[in-house]
Amino acid sequence: MIPCTDFIPAYSELFKFLEKKGGRKAVEDFWNYLSDNFLTNLRDLVRKHGLLGCWLYWSRALNEEAADFTMKLDEKKQVFSIVMHKCPSKGRLLKCRHIKPYPDYCRHCDVLYRRILEPMGFEYLADFSGCDRARCRLTLRRLTSHVSRLTRS
Amino acid sequence: MRRRASDNEYLHRDFHGALSTGLEYLHRRYGAAAVREYLRQFTAAFYAPLSREIGRRGLAAIRDHYRKVYETEGGRLSASLTDHELTMTVPYSPAVRHLRRRGYPVARLFVETIRTVNETLCEGTPFEFELVKYDPKTGSSVQRFYRRKQ
Repeated sequence: MIPCTDFIPAYSELFKFLEKKGGRKAVEDFWNYLSDNFLTNLRDLVRKHGLLGCWLYWSRALNEEAADFTMKLDEKKQVFSIVMHKCPSKGRLLKCRHIKPYPDYCRHCDVLYRRILEPMGFEYLADFSGCDRARCRLTLRRLTSHVSRLTRS
Repeated sequence: MRRRASDNEYLHRDFHGALSTGLEYLHRRYGAAAVREYLRQFTAAFYAPLSREIGRRGLAAIRDHYRKVYETEGGRLSASLTDHELTMTVPYSPAVRHLRRRGYPVARLFVETIRTVNETLCEGTPFEFELVKYDPKTGSSVQRFYRRKQ
């Protein structure tokens, strides 16, 4: 059995395997598939609770992943943010001396979550400039045009 | 909410779901051989230190590795070890149990996370692996490692 604690290197190696099979497109195709078929819980939570759904989703995931993070939700302003001080996944990969992480590892988060949240009416801003130190930042903002569209319907 | 890494234990069981989804994707898109090829590559790369330890310490290294794995995941494992053979009996797989409880699909080749992984762990060591029993519903299994005949 592969324990869930070894999943991150398994995931990184899967991206490398796919890239060898069919280039970057093969990796992107997989990320899109994963977003559509596996992250249905995030989609359901956001559909039901709006931005609070993001809070609920990441509260569980990031605590279970023992992440070092600050998460904020301003329901009045409809802004949700995560500042990842140390990403447990990337942190593990960087610490692991005997395997090389997939070079574009961090971008899977961007693809997976953006694909769900933008069509639901959120502006999705991600900053991966601190990726090589296992740091990143995500800000989600409800687009007013989408709110008025929802109000009208 | 502010959390530090030390505030929580690292155990995100939904990762089993992501792995299962990945294996099923590989199977559908590239065929069964690709699933085995990927698991073989992953094991050879990531578990290389464990394979070296098996070469040094023998089957006790495998037993210790899996004891820790099942303990961390809240599972059970009974192991019978001699110089030439290790038999591990697992009443249920914590991974399969989590997938079933959360309603995640179990990849058709999820069994390869045992068979291919363990066969690959033995490569370059004096040992071989045989999956004696496996129940795809619960993931219960009997796993046997034994000394290769010269």
